[in-house]
Amino acid sequence: MSPQHKESRLREALVGLGRFSRTQLRFTLMVIGGGWGVVQEARHFSSWRRTVRIEFWQTLRQATGGGLLSVLVTAALTGFGIVAQAVYWLGFAGMAQMTGSILSTVLVREIAPVLVGVILLGRSGMLMLTELGTLTTGGQMRVMAGMGIDPFLAFVMPRTLAMTISGFTLGMIFSLTALVMGYLVCWVEGIITMPVWAFLDQVTSSMRPIDYFSIPAKFTLSGFIVGLCSCLSGMDATSEDDLATLLPRGFARGILSVMIINVVFSVGFD
Amino acid sequence: MAEDDLGRSALDPVLELLDARPRFDASGLFSTRYNLHLNPGECALIECRDPRQASLFADLCTGLIPLSEGSVRCMGLDWDALEDRRAWALRGRIGRMVTDGGWIDLYGTHLNILWPQMHHTRTPLGTLVEKATRLGIRFGLPGLPVLPPGRLSALDRRRADCVRAFLGEPSLLLLENPVEMFPSDLYAAFLSALTEARDRGCAVIWLAPDDSAWRGYGQGASLHLRLYDDGLFSMRGS
Repeated sequence: MSPQHKESRLREALVGLGRFSRTQLRFTLMVIGGGWGVVQEARHFSSWRRTVRIEFWQTLRQATGGGLLSVLVTAALTGFGIVAQAVYWLGFAGMAQMTGSILSTVLVREIAPVLVGVILLGRSGMLMLTELGTLTTGGQMRVMAGMGIDPFLAFVMPRTLAMTISGFTLGMIFSLTALVMGYLVCWVEGIITMPVWAFLDQVTSSMRPIDYFSIPAKFTLSGFIVGLCSCLSGMDATSEDDLATLLPRGFARGILSVMIINVVFSVGFD
Repeated sequence: MAEDDLGRSALDPVLELLDARPRFDASGLFSTRYNLHLNPGECALIECRDPRQASLFADLCTGLIPLSEGSVRCMGLDWDALEDRRAWALRGRIGRMVTDGGWIDLYGTHLNILWPQMHHTRTPLGTLVEKATRLGIRFGLPGLPVLPPGRLSALDRRRADCVRAFLGEPSLLLLENPVEMFPSDLYAAFLSALTEARDRGCAVIWLAPDDSAWRGYGQGASLHLRLYDDGLFSMRGS
């Protein structure tokens, strides 16, 4: 085999490998690039035009205000369920006084970020995916581009940032509601007799300094990734896509991203 | 020579296609050489039977289609040489009417109309609303419609289309079959707005499926062209 032939075959193999890697990692690379783009664009004062601000506030209102009731109900049910289980099992082990620290570890650190991410994804992320997917397949995105409106600046950046703030806000509300609900259940059951402030003090005392960073970071990044994945999945739609293909794909990407964020933080900051 | 904030000269042609050959795989437009030179105030009437091809040609003029050869210059600036932010800003100087309107039902029609100007300028909202309302009345609307575009009649959407295209005194108008199903009053208002725009230096590309679309306006045009798969051709007598 001649050297040129060998070189040609090697090049073909490398091209094939590159194509395979890019196809498999395409959306991941899009998310990394998109995330970097959002952060970069948000730093420029000129990016915050009237249209961008309108989109930002509208999404913030929809995601935070619209998701508030769902978060309150889910947090109350979760707080009640976790406490009921904790009370039973800790009582069984003779460690009922550890209820507060178990609540902070399990509820606030592990369960709240995932549930808030899922609520954001289901309630707002899917809406964004549908809206942007419809605009992309309907050709409106291209019309906007023809008028000089960058869809990334007009939609992706404000919506992702609004979801980031919403993730943090709803996460904090979820944590507080679940803890207070847990306290109420314990208090009614007679397991805890201390006042609510002492209970909350016990919860905060059981938290490590790193938790004060990792818990808000989980909430914030969950919102960010849900917003970004939903927007990019919508804008990545092709003419062959419809809601039946778009929604399951967007949901799978969103939920996977939320889980990855939580696992990375749980493992990295444990 | 005086230059504006985008660095262009007042004597530059508004639109120039110099042997521009689109990349077929990336655009869908036939990969042939396109040539066009449009000075301020000029109007090119282009006959194109395929609305998709007309739309892609308009995209080519706005620098949205990658080229394999040649260049497309808008107001003296080469789209390929412009950094992204400047390219988006330059597109903001172009008024467009597209075949299906490209309306976004997430917002009311008023926001759809004002959106490009709100995005590209710092003109106070009140002033924009006032100008849009005046244009709306001129094109036969009762004012500035606030209903979502999907709830307006097709004719009212066409009227709103005119308002959006002419709002903000664009330097270039790209009109894709703009007068389809226009009644005579709207046609007259459209031609009057078009003439005013040309008088202040706006160049116009008017794409239509056949020459009956521009009715009597053909004599006022600077160029008569046909858009075929293999490029732009002058029509006989132009």
